[in-house]
Parts: sequence; C-alpha cells; structure tokens
Amino acid sequence: MSTTRHHINRQRLRQARAARPRVVEVRPGTRRAAAPRGPEATAERASGPARPRARRPWGLVALCGLTVLLGAFAGWAHAEAESLRAEPARSNTALTDVARTSEVKGQVAEAVDRLFSYDHADPAAFDRAAKDLLTGKAVAQHRDLFTDVRERADARKAVITTAVTETAVERIDGDRARVLVYADQSSVATAGGKAEAEQDDGVYAAAMLAVDAVHRDGRWLVTALDTFGRT
Amino acid sequence: MERPARRRVPRRLRTPYAPALALALVAGGFAAWAGQDWYDAAHDDRAAYAVQRDRALAAGEQAVQNLNTLDHRDLDRGLDLWEASTTGELREQLTAGRDAFAGQVKEAETVSTARVLSGAVTELDDRAGRARVLVALRVTVRAADGTRTDKDSRMLGELTRTDGRWKLSALGQAPVGGAPAG
Repeated sequence: MSTTRHHINRQRLRQARAARPRVVEVRPGTRRAAAPRGPEATAERASGPARPRARRPWGLVALCGLTVLLGAFAGWAHAEAESLRAEPARSNTALTDVARTSEVKGQVAEAVDRLFSYDHADPAAFDRAAKDLLTGKAVAQHRDLFTDVRERADARKAVITTAVTETAVERIDGDRARVLVYADQSSVATAGGKAEAEQDDGVYAAAMLAVDAVHRDGRWLVTALDTFGRT
Repeated sequence: MERPARRRVPRRLRTPYAPALALALVAGGFAAWAGQDWYDAAHDDRAAYAVQRDRALAAGEQAVQNLNTLDHRDLDRGLDLWEASTTGELREQLTAGRDAFAGQVKEAETVSTARVLSGAVTELDDRAGRARVLVALRVTVRAADGTRTDKDSRMLGELTRTDGRWKLSALGQAPVGGAPAG
C-alpha cells in the first residue's frame, strides 16, 4: 500500500519536474511571443544569459501571425459574402431577371384569359384550358369558382370573356412565381330574359387576383388562385 | 539533471520556416479569394436593383394604404401623413384640395381604413428613380351611422425617389371596361 503510494508520488513529482522545463522551452517556438509570466518565470529568466530568448525566431512569429490574420479575414469575408447572398431581396428575381419576368407575365396573363373565359357553345375549350394550365390545388379552386358561373352561363347561353389588363410579378424564386393580375370580365347572353341580358351586356366587372405559378417542362402552370376572399 | 542539457539544444535550427511560409501563402490565397467574392457580392448590380425594387414596393404599399386611410376625428394627422407619403404633382393636388376635402370628410363623419391585399412592381428605373406599382387594396369605410362597407380597389401607383426615399407621385385606379390601361 505505502509503497504504491510512494511510487505514485514519486512519479507525479518527476512528471511535474519534467513538465516545467518543457513549457519554458516550447515558448520560443510557439506562435505567440508572450513574455514568461509569474514569479517562477522571472526567476528562470534571471537564471542565466544562456536562455535562448534572444534567439527567438521573430520572423516565424510574424509569419504565423500573418497566417492567422489572413485566415481570419478569409473566414470573415466569406461569411459577409454569404450573408449578402442570403438577403431575401436577392433570391427574388422578379424584374432583375428581365427575360424570366416577361415570360411569367405573358404566360400567366394568357392562362388567366383562358381560364376565366367561358363560351356556352364551346365548353370543351374551357375544360381543355383547365387541364392544360392548372395543377395542384388550383384545379379544385378553379372548379369551385366556376361551378355556379358555368351553370348560369349555360342556362343563359352566355359568353364570358376575361381580358387581363395589368400584370405585375411579385416574386420569382427559382421555379416558383407569384403574379398579381388585374382583369376585366364581361358577359354577353344570347338567350334568357331580355332585361337580364340588357343588364349584363357590355358591363365589365373589375377583377383582381394573385396567381401562384410553377415552371414545369418549359412552361408556367398555375398552382393556386388567390381571389382575396372574393369570388 | 536533464534540464540544462535540453536547454542548450539550438531550437532555432529546428524552427519550421518552410511549412509556416506555405501555410501563410495558403491563407493568403484564401483571403484573396474570399475578399474578391465578398467584393463581387457587395457590388452586384442585380442585387442593388432588387433592393431598390423591394424598397419601392414597400414604400408604395405603405403610401397607397396611407392615402386610403382617414379618420374624421383625426383629420390633421391623417392628411399630414398623406402629404408625407407623396411628392410632385400628387402632393400639390393633395395640398391644394386639403381644406375642401377635410370639410367633406368632417361632414360625412367617415372612418376609412385600408388593407393591402397584394402588391408588386411592374417597372423600375433605378437610375431615374421612378417606379410603377400595382397594389390590390381593400378599403373599409365606416359611415356615421356605423354601417361598414368593404370595397376592393385595383390601384396603379407611380413612385419617384426623392432624397433617397420612394414617394407616390401619381395614384389612380386601374380603368375598367376594355379601355387599354395607361
């Protein structure tokens, strides 16, 4: 028991003794040229002119310092560049990407023209437009919007025409876009009560809606129709 | 016993200059690349344009909302805000018609509040400081007898940048009825 403890103690002592000079000796080679601190260090500094303090490789220290500085700058500059690129204004390419902006505008305007126009004599065109231009939840939204309208138009043998007057792209983010659309709607009835027909004919209704679109297979498809809570 | 012997070893000769220099050069290369990258990102014309676009839209939406909000009990503040949101001809019109309009609203005792449903920029001339916006607006008017009416408006606004700030220089509703807009 006691022998073991003695042994351990002696070992610790030796380790401590061996560790101390190593700390002092490593110093000239380390990057930082910090002066030795504490009373112990001062004592050692005074211990003799043989200490290699005068031969400290300042060039190496400077080189290492430069490396650290350059590395720090590189990291900082990289972080700055990344944070600039992550700005939401940049991910939205509406207007900044001129070609894509006009492509979205044109295709969405055409889609709205077709999707919101109905001719009782050619209901197939309407169904074809829905099939070609809609995807996702826009399919159901479009059906809900037009169920009543269609019935009434069929009964009155009406032609509903929608013409987009203004479009503006709110956002383009890669394959997704949102477009604000102003459109005029008119309906002309060829049957039914004369009074009703007169009332409707030539009357334009102002419509506004926001259209979400996705770019798929080279063209923009409507994924959602937002009529702002109005039908 | 070991200590003095170790101390006398000339460590200087073992100092790793070459690897340190190589490391410094690599760090320098990275620093140059990152700096260039940062410079490019900061001087991206498209990004600056995008920032102007978003600023113009934010200012446009706010201004359109301001111009459709008025409380008869607090006319002066509301009309001051109108003038602060506008510039050029529109501001002149508002200033000229201010008293007459204030009288009308006071008599009608209406409270109008507006909510922007959606907005987007259609045109932006970054250099000239001009922009055109569409703002879909829902205006709620509360009359003297407490009845509320909602009205949707398709607004077309023109913005001009004055002293670094975007302000409305023209505002109107999109025409209805087959007539080409503009």
